[in-house]
Amino acid sequence: MTSPAIEITDLSKTFGSGRKRNQALCDLSLTIAQGEIFGFLGPNGAGKSTTIKLLLRFLKPDSGSLSILGKNVGQEEFRHQIGYLSEFPFFYDHLTARETLLLSGRLSGMNRQTIDQRIIMLLERMNLIEAADRRVGGFSKGMKQRLGMANALIHDPEVLIFDEPMSGLDPVGRHQIKGLIAELKQQGKTVFFSSHILSDIEALCDRIGVINKGVLLYAGGLADFLVTGGGLEERFVDVIEEANHASAA
Amino acid sequence: MQVLRNIWFLALATCTEGIRHKALWAIVGLAILLTMANVGVTTLYSWDLGKVSVEFGLSAVAFAGLLLVFFLGMKLLADDLERCRIFMLLSRPVSIWQYLTGKFLGLAMILLLTTCILGLSAALSMRFVLWHYAAYVPPDFSWLTYIMALVCQWMSLVVVLAVSMLCFSFASQPFVALLLAVSAYLVGQNMELLRRVVVENPQAGVLTGQENLVLALSWIFPNLSLFDKKYTAAYGLAFSGQEFMFLCLYGISYSALLIYLSALLFKRKELA
Repeated sequence: MTSPAIEITDLSKTFGSGRKRNQALCDLSLTIAQGEIFGFLGPNGAGKSTTIKLLLRFLKPDSGSLSILGKNVGQEEFRHQIGYLSEFPFFYDHLTARETLLLSGRLSGMNRQTIDQRIIMLLERMNLIEAADRRVGGFSKGMKQRLGMANALIHDPEVLIFDEPMSGLDPVGRHQIKGLIAELKQQGKTVFFSSHILSDIEALCDRIGVINKGVLLYAGGLADFLVTGGGLEERFVDVIEEANHASAA
Repeated sequence: MQVLRNIWFLALATCTEGIRHKALWAIVGLAILLTMANVGVTTLYSWDLGKVSVEFGLSAVAFAGLLLVFFLGMKLLADDLERCRIFMLLSRPVSIWQYLTGKFLGLAMILLLTTCILGLSAALSMRFVLWHYAAYVPPDFSWLTYIMALVCQWMSLVVVLAVSMLCFSFASQPFVALLLAVSAYLVGQNMELLRRVVVENPQAGVLTGQENLVLALSWIFPNLSLFDKKYTAAYGLAFSGQEFMFLCLYGISYSALLIYLSALLFKRKELA
């Protein structure tokens, strides 16, 4: 039996203490199968980025466990199997796009020949080949986002974790990234991504998770979520408002 | 093996980033001007021209090195956290200690490069002064001692860099880390003097009789005055290879210990 790509069990995380205490996540449990595209939805401050940072061990959970491809996060090395794109990808300003990807490939344990081949392929795929030898400091936000995507894919990982991958992209860039995510699905990769852009979620995802104030409100198929009819946006807003009313009462 | 490779690639990337940074060349340019000013400043003195020239040259190297550690080095570290660049690195199979060691070595390489450039520039200006005023050349002046003093200067900067990284690993803000690092540098520079005052002077104020406390402090803070060999080089005093090796060993082991402590503290940090 194959292990899930991502498994999150009873995950809780709190920031601060005393009066500044903020419960960012509360008993979050989620399972994402291999080869699935999973969209993680929620309003600002819902806990999406916190979940992703916990998955990558940038933050430590108060309780609960996380595993990626059967490997316990924090106990076993799993990072060579994941590709990560942060919401605001920042790179070394004085390195070129090629040098940036070379560094990431090297740190992922790849050999030089394979890295060079993948750099050309990915920069072409991301329409950055002409900027390959330009310093990243001079890149526009969209170019940095596309370089971030190439950076996440350099070592051909099995699981991809994207935090708002479409943010800062123009319609052409968004279309390109959407095409790429669909291509990754065809290759059998698992993609876990958070987004505010509901139309992208609707177009790409097999399953979705909806989170609000650190509590998972829904996890399942997109069709089941839209059971009452109407669009994703209306349904999403209804679910969040219901949850807010319930917590206020 | 991959561990060493990771450290090397991180060091190389840090060094490349630093070398291409305008701030580095602004500081190096300023320091070259300072070392060249040696020629003019020395002639203002009417005695010990050779000594003044050597001390001035080495002081310019030390000054530029400190600017590099406190401004360029700490900026590169702070940018990694503030601009979330660290996520790009730590989402790879790279541990915190590999990241910190790689950063440290990369910055130490930048310091080595600039020390070489500034040392050469200072040597050229000193050569000019010593050639022009041959009568004032210290009797036992040796270029070997000058090079050894220069290496000690670099080693001292490496220790200050390690102290900065330690401060950076537990301070909540980069500015706080900078303040702590500068304070630790000032204490380190004067620790040996304080130790001597307390040990040799029975009227050392509140510190009278606190030899053990001062001794303990002198083991905690880096004893940076040990690395200051400007006087030795300027007067052509004896500087044995054994003492040189001891200083290098002290600098390397102290820095390694600080990087180890930095990694322990940094692991506790949450990268929100």
